[in-house]
Amino acid sequence: MTDMTAFPDVVNWAVPLFIAAILAELLWIVIKGRGGRYETRDALTSLMMGAGNVASGILLGFVAYGFFVLLWEITPIDLGTSFGVIALCFVLDDLRYYWVHRFGHRIRWVWASHVNHHSSQHYNLTTALRQTWTGTFTFMMVVRTPLILLGFHPAMVLFVGGLNLIYQFWIHTEAIGKMPRWFEAVMNTPSHHRVHHGRNPRYLDCNYAGVFIVWDKLFGTFVPEMDEEKVDYGLVHNLGTFNPIRVAFHEWVGIYHDATQPGLTWRERLNYCVMPPGWSHDGSRETSTAIKARHVYQNPDVAGTPGLPPSPEHHP
Amino acid sequence: MPLSILLPMVVLGIACIAVLLHMLGLSRRATLPDQVAARAAWLREFPGDAPRYVTLCQDHSAALIETETGRGVVWPMGADTTARYLTGARTRRTKTGLRLDLPDYTAPRIHLSLDPDEAAAWQDALKETA
Repeated sequence: MTDMTAFPDVVNWAVPLFIAAILAELLWIVIKGRGGRYETRDALTSLMMGAGNVASGILLGFVAYGFFVLLWEITPIDLGTSFGVIALCFVLDDLRYYWVHRFGHRIRWVWASHVNHHSSQHYNLTTALRQTWTGTFTFMMVVRTPLILLGFHPAMVLFVGGLNLIYQFWIHTEAIGKMPRWFEAVMNTPSHHRVHHGRNPRYLDCNYAGVFIVWDKLFGTFVPEMDEEKVDYGLVHNLGTFNPIRVAFHEWVGIYHDATQPGLTWRERLNYCVMPPGWSHDGSRETSTAIKARHVYQNPDVAGTPGLPPSPEHHP
Repeated sequence: MPLSILLPMVVLGIACIAVLLHMLGLSRRATLPDQVAARAAWLREFPGDAPRYVTLCQDHSAALIETETGRGVVWPMGADTTARYLTGARTRRTKTGLRLDLPDYTAPRIHLSLDPDEAAAWQDALKETA
């Protein structure tokens, strides 16, 4: 099936909005003295990661788009470009985002690309732009296959994906507390996404939603922001560099070192690539599951509360 | 959006935001007010390995940590801190203190601001670690 359907590249068109919103948030924080924190080098790194993400899209975007066009050639279905179809595509693509994002936290190969988004110890609108340069190498574009085979045009799929990313920009802020209850119940919000960026054991690996938080509630990965536990932003082991190259590639380098160390079986080498972050062949490191279990063992009073497992019978 | 517009806008936007942040005084590095803060900063990275000894440097910008596992350092990452063990670290004196080269892609180089006596003492201490 061939045609010349065109949709705007909304992310690029949103760049002026991003810059204006960052300046507005910064002004708010400086004037009010609350609502978040900014630091020059951290923000600069985030913005450079954002610029690099746009550049990598320009340089490598043809790989994913070529794959999508190939799928479009073979599918006999064309749902057209009516408003209803675009809306349905947006919702289904958000479900796609949920799973890609979940894989991004549970499969080290995909985490290697996504980790940089979590590498800031700050949480402000510049953090939203701290995006990957290496998304193409995760091959997560295959998760969009069903959408295109179902008859959603590749350009439309990319368009709604862009809208999804733009939606997620404004939720990277501490300047907004909680939205109205009905909104918090259905939509991803600053509160829900702050939790997602937390390195506290309770907040690890949850709230994967892009636009609709209902996916987390449906698939059992939702954890609310708790007044009694402030979110501590960043990675379990925070980076010691602001160098964007190291931020972009550090986990890939880590995978290389781990998978090529001498004396491993081929299964162990593969596991260093695909098991959850923190997996090791000798158990010398901790995955998020182990971190949560240890936290509960050391703090039995929090066992079974949101984001944490019940009390373990044995020392984890 | 045409690249001829996007590129200058991105470059100018990043530059303006960075300059504004610096002028607003938001480039200040974190300091460790006391040993309790240094200990907390270490435990934030390595919660299972409590410090036995904490040596805070005189300008409170970093701390040398000793645990049952080995030696480590806490130092500022912008307005925050991070920490690393010093296994395999190489030390070099600099005009402003000490430079640590770590075999760690995520923290390859740490510049510590130490006075000359302090730098010598830290270098001696770290010889045992390397």
